Amino acid sequence: MEAVKIRLENISKTFLHRVKGEVSAVNQVSFDVQPGEFLTMLGPSGCGKTTTLRMIAGFERPDKGRIFIGEEDVTDLMANQRNIGFVFQNYALFPHLSVFENVAYGLKVKGMERTPIEKSVTDVLNLVGLKGFERQFPHQLSGGEQQRVALARAVVIQPRVLLFDEPLSNLDAKLRVYMRGEIRRLQKTLSITAVYVTHDQEEAMAVSDHIAVMNEGRIIQIGTAEQLYLKPDSPFVAQFIGKINVFPAEIKAIANNQVTLQLFKKEYQVSRGSHHVKSGEKINIFVRPETIILTEPSDEGALKATIVERVFLGEKVDYLIQLDGHLVNATSYDPLRQGSFSPNQEVGIRFHPEAIQILKEERKRD
Amino acid sequence: MKMSSAVIEPNLKDRFRQLLRDPLLLITLIILWGLLGLFILVPLIKLFARTFEEGGQFTLSNVIGILGDPNQRQALWNSLLLGSLVGLCGTALGFLFAYTAVRTNLPKAWTLFLDASIILPLISPPFTTAIAMIFSFGPRGLITYDLLGIKGFTVYGLHGTLFSETITYFPIAYLTLKAIIAGIDPNIEDMAFSLGSSRRRVFRTITLPLTVPGLANSFLLLFAASLADFATPLILAGNSFPVLPTQAYLQITGLFDLKGGAVLSFVLLVPAFLVFLLQRFWVSRKYYVTISGKVGAQTQIKSVSPWAKFLLLGLCLFISAFIFYFYVLLFYASIVQAFGANFQMTLKHYRVVFTEGLKAIRDTLIIAGVGMPLGGIYAVILGYLVSKKSFPSRQSMEIVSMINYSLPGTIVGIAYLLFFNDPPFLLTGTAIIIIACYVFRYGPTGIRTTVAILQQIDPSIEEASYSLGAGSGTTFRRITMPLILPAFFAGLGVVFIRSMTAISATIFLISINWTLITVRILEKMTELELGVAAAFSILVVLIVFVVITAISMVLRLFRQPGSPDMANILGG
Repeated sequence: MEAVKIRLENISKTFLHRVKGEVSAVNQVSFDVQPGEFLTMLGPSGCGKTTTLRMIAGFERPDKGRIFIGEEDVTDLMANQRNIGFVFQNYALFPHLSVFENVAYGLKVKGMERTPIEKSVTDVLNLVGLKGFERQFPHQLSGGEQQRVALARAVVIQPRVLLFDEPLSNLDAKLRVYMRGEIRRLQKTLSITAVYVTHDQEEAMAVSDHIAVMNEGRIIQIGTAEQLYLKPDSPFVAQFIGKINVFPAEIKAIANNQVTLQLFKKEYQVSRGSHHVKSGEKINIFVRPETIILTEPSDEGALKATIVERVFLGEKVDYLIQLDGHLVNATSYDPLRQGSFSPNQEVGIRFHPEAIQILKEERKRD
Repeated sequence: MKMSSAVIEPNLKDRFRQLLRDPLLLITLIILWGLLGLFILVPLIKLFARTFEEGGQFTLSNVIGILGDPNQRQALWNSLLLGSLVGLCGTALGFLFAYTAVRTNLPKAWTLFLDASIILPLISPPFTTAIAMIFSFGPRGLITYDLLGIKGFTVYGLHGTLFSETITYFPIAYLTLKAIIAGIDPNIEDMAFSLGSSRRRVFRTITLPLTVPGLANSFLLLFAASLADFATPLILAGNSFPVLPTQAYLQITGLFDLKGGAVLSFVLLVPAFLVFLLQRFWVSRKYYVTISGKVGAQTQIKSVSPWAKFLLLGLCLFISAFIFYFYVLLFYASIVQAFGANFQMTLKHYRVVFTEGLKAIRDTLIIAGVGMPLGGIYAVILGYLVSKKSFPSRQSMEIVSMINYSLPGTIVGIAYLLFFNDPPFLLTGTAIIIIACYVFRYGPTGIRTTVAILQQIDPSIEEASYSLGAGSGTTFRRITMPLILPAFFAGLGVVFIRSMTAISATIFLISINWTLITVRILEKMTELELGVAAAFSILVVLIVFVVITAISMVLRLFRQPGSPDMANILGG
């Protein structure tokens, strides 16, 4: 089947909460998912990502806006008319049906004959590695196996799109890493458009073509994992994806796209980015821990600081450092050269000008 | 973001609009409300009217008249006293059994033995323990007269009634408390041990406080059961200890004073209603532990020392043995000429049961057989609607459906008698009135089971069905219905069992055309044909036991997460 595009146009949804009254869960969300693309909606709890996914599936109806799957406007279609595959957080397997019957359910509903059903179910169970489990019941399976049944059940009906609602959150850490690889492989094998919801940024980065970061019912930024990590366009995204230091700085001069700013009494030439700044303005700058260079205290050009805490994590060492009344997070991936500082020890700190980012709170759009 | 359906609901206007779009739902609701009105609300209103009306005028004189009568005031006081004592003793006994069953690592065989001795009183017809009490402690009682040689011991009065009701109703406390104690994570007790508490201290400061809401609930349940009990006091209370339900019964059957019966049952309604309110709005909110909560890592329970374990187990076994003794005695009495006087073996009591008693057996089985599927269907439909559909009057429907279940049977029986005695709903003398009484009085157990099962079925299971292309009809048929089937069978079972064993409401509804085994037992008791009464009781216990076993097997066939235990349903 040809992969199709998903298009959301200005989707909004409010709920009536018994205590809080009207709550806006999703607020004017628009995005496109290209045919065959894997898009992940990422955000903290309550950001509206699951509600958005459920509207694509047809479990909720948007108050405003339109949803398209392929060229078809599906906004007014019920879930059972949309031909989508949905994988639930708790798998939602039918407890009274065997693995075979669970997977065959969608095909039976379509009125397919017994023989082709058997072939399709066998094929898809092979595909997810559950050959021989046909007669088992959901409660006899492990979490990972249940997850595969849920996957098989969703893909066997050859849906136009695949939707995932935090499908891995009930699995243990190791299995989670393994299954996310499985899901990505399956999606590529079937070359099917997929929308995935998670609050786990590592998971999002590992599986997605693009990530849509959401907060408070809005899309904050859409991009590849690299774009979001290296070039976030808001403090929220910078702080939500990975760890980042925030320091106060002052703009000294502006020339073309370059800004001279003062940070811990030293001046740096950095890129202005897309934000509007003016000379003399006090701003916040953002620096990732792994871009900070630690040197010997004898280093003349470095800032003088003191190690507060050292955490050895195998492939890296995390430091907490006291610098001029501020606490700095720094990470070293080179324990041989930069891993030998101990608490209370003096240390030199250098910032890469390219790693310093100027980010400002977006002006409120409404 | 997870939005639980309990918190978010469409507003009233949307619900009305939804209703108009779904004609099937609308028609079902109209029929259900019609039935609830006819068989629950209107009879009760009629009872109120009888109580507060005199010559077309509102008056309190009837109630004041009853309360002014020292005899009736004594009956009210006696009912409250008996209820409180049964509540206390039954809860204590229930706690003993529950704590022993859950916290002493009993081998499976012992647990089965305890469970069996607890099931027996739950499935027995009324009078069972009362008859055994008379055989044991009566004027020629096996224990008092033959064993201990006490002459002139009288079993009748508060002590006999209290003892008999405690034995009959403590299984309810056991089932309530067992679930609560089992829900207390043993890791919490381990934590207290690790902080240096002794066993006694852990019990006093951790286990017992966590059980308090359960104890309160159990007390209320037993208080209500005793308040409603009509059969035991009728046999054992004697003249010196009148209680309200029996007074109301005697007022109607002895003095043919319908109004007096109505007023007395209204007086009974007040404490019953208070208990209902307390239970629903106070105790149910105080639970600390959720029963379905996941208990932490497996741990060996260490909260009971070895000697305490033997003491607890010994006490339980003694009581269990006593209960079994009652039933053996009952069986023995049914196969001897005249218990206490002539111990020659005979089948003559059973001959009576299967000749002149045959009509009662046939009537009872027909009524139970017809009421059973009706009760099951009623329970599943109403339970499904109130927990899965959103419509105006949803909550009031749930509450109204529980009324006849919560009220003492005497009140329901008298209300039915008053209302269905006149056209246009002249049902007195028919089987319909008895069947309706059972369906609306015992269907609620099935409703609650349906609601409980549906609450455990995640909404995403139905959504998964929609996403696979199934419409709401297919989803209900293929997914929801099979999942609530256990509730359907539970509903069937409870209606059947109660149809076989209940008397308090239906004693007012029987007629020449339709009679019941339980009523025949009462008649035989008053005619002092105790052997026949014992034979009838044994027959009922056997029938109920066979049906329960059959239903348990069916339930096991559908064994799924969340499907209930038959024993737990009986307790509710």
